[in-house]
Amino acid sequence: MKKIHSIPSIFNMIKKYDSISIIGMNKNVGKTTTLNHILSEARGKITLGLTSIGRDGEETDLVTATEKPRIYIEQGTIIATAKQCLLNSDITREILKTTGFNTPMGEIIICRALSDGYVDLAGPSVNSYMTLICDELKRFGSKLVIVDGAISRKTFAAPSITSATILSTGAALSRSMVKVIEETSHTVNLLSTENEEDRSVLKIANEVLSNGRIGIIHRDNTLKMLDVLTSLESSKEIVEGLDESTSHVVIKGVLSDKLVQDIMTATNKYKGVTFLVEDGTKLFLTRDTLYKFKKQGGIIKTIDKVNIVCVTSNPKSPYGYEFDKHLFLDGLRSNLNIPVFDVIGGE
Amino acid sequence: MKFLDKQQREQIGFSFVMDKLGITTTYGLEERKNIMPFKTSEIDKLNHELNSLDSIIKSMNSHIEEYNGIGRIFCKLKDIRNSIKRCSENKILDEIELYEIKYFSILVTELKIFLEKLHLDIEEIQLNSLEEIISILDPQRNGISTFYIYDEYSNTLKNTREKKKQKEKEIFAATSEEEVTKLKKQRLDLVIDEEAEELYIRKELTLQISKEAGSIKQNIKAIGRLDFLIAKANLAIAYNGTRPDICSEMKIYLSHSFNPEIKEILERGKKVFTPVSIELFSGTTIITGANMGGKSVTLKTIVLNLLLGQMGFFVFAKSAQFPILDFIHFVSDDMQSISKGLSTFGAEIIKLKEVVECAKKENGFIALDEFARGTNPKEGYYLVKSLSKYLTKFHSVSLISTHYDGVAQDNMEHYQVMGLKNVDFNALKCKIDLNKTHSVEIIQEYMEYKLEKVSKENKVPKDALNIAVLLGLEKEIVDIAKSFYNEED
Repeated sequence: MKKIHSIPSIFNMIKKYDSISIIGMNKNVGKTTTLNHILSEARGKITLGLTSIGRDGEETDLVTATEKPRIYIEQGTIIATAKQCLLNSDITREILKTTGFNTPMGEIIICRALSDGYVDLAGPSVNSYMTLICDELKRFGSKLVIVDGAISRKTFAAPSITSATILSTGAALSRSMVKVIEETSHTVNLLSTENEEDRSVLKIANEVLSNGRIGIIHRDNTLKMLDVLTSLESSKEIVEGLDESTSHVVIKGVLSDKLVQDIMTATNKYKGVTFLVEDGTKLFLTRDTLYKFKKQGGIIKTIDKVNIVCVTSNPKSPYGYEFDKHLFLDGLRSNLNIPVFDVIGGE
Repeated sequence: MKFLDKQQREQIGFSFVMDKLGITTTYGLEERKNIMPFKTSEIDKLNHELNSLDSIIKSMNSHIEEYNGIGRIFCKLKDIRNSIKRCSENKILDEIELYEIKYFSILVTELKIFLEKLHLDIEEIQLNSLEEIISILDPQRNGISTFYIYDEYSNTLKNTREKKKQKEKEIFAATSEEEVTKLKKQRLDLVIDEEAEELYIRKELTLQISKEAGSIKQNIKAIGRLDFLIAKANLAIAYNGTRPDICSEMKIYLSHSFNPEIKEILERGKKVFTPVSIELFSGTTIITGANMGGKSVTLKTIVLNLLLGQMGFFVFAKSAQFPILDFIHFVSDDMQSISKGLSTFGAEIIKLKEVVECAKKENGFIALDEFARGTNPKEGYYLVKSLSKYLTKFHSVSLISTHYDGVAQDNMEHYQVMGLKNVDFNALKCKIDLNKTHSVEIIQEYMEYKLEKVSKENKVPKDALNIAVLLGLEKEIVDIAKSFYNEED
């Protein structure tokens, strides 16, 4: 394990939340290092609960063959992980509960670490299960639940699942430092998209979420639900539903690049209309599309806010190159208005 | 299939009833999957099953609290059959399996307490005590359901873990990277020792549990039976079911029986299901009546209730009596025949051959719904008439619905759907003329679906013509038809 450097305490920033997700912009950006950093900071202070999103093979990094940092936890930590991974872990463990949620790596088991040691984490692959697993971890006494996530599955960072988020970025994302900074800043922008403040609109929007997939709110606060199966393929219905009286389009689920492009191609009635999504994790838009949409007068807001606590950066890439750590850190800091730490280099 | 194939069971509303069974445990589901009609030699078993069901229904009324408790335990029970199998095969159980067996045993103990309060005298749901397993898997005697390979199992394990813990403290206190690496290497060696000792202990525990595997298996069976019986009891309570009287002579009696699926469909359309009351004996019984008269519903209701009774369910009726049947056959023209490339009629004949072979060997129940409807009426009439006559010579009970007149002979029972017989025809016609768009619904409303026994004096009503008039068939056609009727008289 790394010696703890004199960087500001991330743990102090997150301890007020009951759950937090850590999402990495890519593989090898230091997400596990960030996690281990928090774990060692929290040592002896608080009972942690720990789980991870389900794996889709990303952990076995055949391309770089780097030895992945493993997660080292403290005695007393409660973890939720798939059976195969649990049997791979070297802690002495007390089995608390079998959850009945099955994954390719076996059923998810909840257990308590009776010794320090390395664990292998793989949790549920379904959002609703993750919410339940987090609840179980709290029920067994975790004061803070940490979910190990990934950008490709960023919906796991939704405020309905964890109350705050840490984003990990690093040189592994691209050879170009400018590109890494741009991508990171774009992701932060999407995640921290402005929240809708109008309470009456929010009330109607929540009605849409519980009753269907897409709803159109008019200026007189009347609602029209659209009959669509998924949000992804609904551009035609949305375009037909837009008119002068439209104030908001509420979209449950993902707002994709294609959907926004299709709408922009078909009409210009979206100008001045607010597209309302559940939260920032549902936005899967490229920088260009977002720019065009906003430039043309489209507005995107969220129903719930994602709390991004900080960004951690890793200037080293396992592909054999690294950025100047100060330049990188400064670049990120000047583009983001949230704290940025280098948990590897220690700044 | 001597008791209907899957598709027929679907058609008569049997699958609907199975889906209504609120079974909670995988063991109960297994019971449902393996459900079988009782054999004629098993009359005592069937009566025992019905008695058990009766006792449970009675005790449910007076022990609501206990049954709620049992339901909560059922929700927590998981399928441990695979672990028990592995254990019997001398495979070493992992700690999660050991946890599940421990938790199962604790739940069984709780279940046993509830069961004892019920004072049910049903042997197959008695549970074996699993205290032995609990004491093996709870060496600290603290009664909680969580599990680990406890230090109490071996001094070697305890010592290794203490050393490991010491090492972990040193790792935490270490100040240099090199030191941490060195200590972690030492810790890893201790982890290897710990795992080796844990494996040895798990092997021992598995061996001890395997001695109790028989007890656990019996409990699994008993829990499945209990879950299934409670589900059957709840079903009987929900639909006001009745215990059928299982007799030994070939005689079927149903009073006010109904079919839950059809009843639900009718009620959704704000219509009422007319209960079916009928008495059947060896030989042939004919049901006649106009189209729209509900003959198929009658047959489906009888078949469903007979089948359920054969399987040890309470039936949907006010009272019921029937014997254990060797088979139940139902021939109807909604049997799928397309896959075999046969016409409806062809499929009916193929099926009928099978039915006749059965009737030659054994005694059962045969229902034929509008047999030979698909072929030309004259030939159809002769075929139905011959078949009816032929079936009278068997001990089996045959019930044939037909809209052909004059099939019934003196040696057959004959029922007819009352239909529009007692309706003031002119008043009904008036009502329909006022509301032509709903003519079909209005006729259905006036149609009396009740069965009445036909004696020689009763005239068969001309409901087909009546319905045609009500629905506004061209007057000229009706008049021509009437002249034919008159000629016949």
